[in-house]
Amino acid sequence: MSASIITANLEIPFPTDREAEIAHGSLSVDKEPKRGGVKKTMTVHNNIMHIHFAAPEARLLRVSINSFFDHLKLVVETLERFGQPR
Amino acid sequence: MVIAIGFEGSANKLGIGIVKDGVVLSNPRHTYITPPGQGFLPKDTAKHHREHALDILQQALEEANVKPEQIDVVCYTKGPGMGAPLVSTALVARTVAQLWNKPIVAVNHCIDIEMGRLITGAQNPTVLYVSGGNTQVIAYSERCYRIFGETIDIAVGNCLDRFARVLKLSNDPSPGYNIEQLAKRGSKFLEMPYAVKGMDVSFSGLLSYIEEKAPSLIASNEYTPEDLCFSLQETVFAMLIEITERAMAHCNSEEVLIVGGVGCEYRFIPLLVISTSANGVLMFYCLLYIRFCIDNGAMIAQAGWEMYRSGAVTPLEETSCTQRYRTDEVEVTWRN
Repeated sequence: MSASIITANLEIPFPTDREAEIAHGSLSVDKEPKRGGVKKTMTVHNNIMHIHFAAPEARLLRVSINSFFDHLKLVVETLERFGQPR
Repeated sequence: MVIAIGFEGSANKLGIGIVKDGVVLSNPRHTYITPPGQGFLPKDTAKHHREHALDILQQALEEANVKPEQIDVVCYTKGPGMGAPLVSTALVARTVAQLWNKPIVAVNHCIDIEMGRLITGAQNPTVLYVSGGNTQVIAYSERCYRIFGETIDIAVGNCLDRFARVLKLSNDPSPGYNIEQLAKRGSKFLEMPYAVKGMDVSFSGLLSYIEEKAPSLIASNEYTPEDLCFSLQETVFAMLIEITERAMAHCNSEEVLIVGGVGCEYRFIPLLVISTSANGVLMFYCLLYIRFCIDNGAMIAQAGWEMYRSGAVTPLEETSCTQRYRTDEVEVTWRN
């Protein structure tokens, strides 16, 4: 079982393309810890941010996704509170 | 005229400060205080920072009466510090920098020396940097803050904090503050391991020693908790002053600047004055301004302001955080 890779894909929609771009800019800087063995790739298409996770174990995948959502929530709240009124 | 905003979250304090050409316009802060006997863990500290960052940011802008468009540069702590809290704080800095279309400057936390120089007016001090995470004696030479001596294991503040946990002292406002309050009432000195190794110091053996001895010494009424706080404080400060003094002699320096959270402990001052005057050192500076000694956003803004004015900008994709980031890795482009 150890050789298998578990993957997950997330699609996060933002109100505008620019907010998706900013969130991507903020969230794609930090690399996953090397020893965890999780690979995370992020791309943006229009107002949608796509995130692909690949991990050797379900537990590691969960940790990585949980952490991603903690960070995403903070970025979204920052955009809502300090962004230009739409 | 340059206005810088600084985001600091390398340990248990989340601070955001705004500085305009050497004047601190605002500097709000929120501290994560754990129950007595407990230290702060990275995950919980990061959560604290995420919960408070936006309120503190709003407060910083309102108190400074500055609009986002007036800000010239967004500065944040890149390291050293705890990974998760650093990242949480950096995320907000990156997001607002993009929203407001401002450049970013990544700051080494230890360059809070610049805040000390600004406040005291010290020109070229020997710096004793003492906090919960860092213990270094630093002097400037040729575009670098060079580390003359440092701890080879835990920081002095960590040693004091962990002893406060043994005694179940409150962490409010800080364990070091409460140790000092007890130490003032202590009188019986307990000899403990004094570990100065050349220009370096070691605190972990000392901590193990007192952690092991304290419960029985107190239970048998041989020593009071006050006596032990007094003895610990005297011992660690004597060690630090010994290496500071030596660094000052090496550099022919007549000024000493104390920065970092442990610098708020007043016992440092009489000890250092006695020690340095014996060596014929006349000038004496100390960063007594507690709000600038303990981690805060303005110190990051001030260091970033210096860096930005000398041309430093960090591209967004390089605004990562690092737990290990030595003081001497920074090229000091803003001093002669």
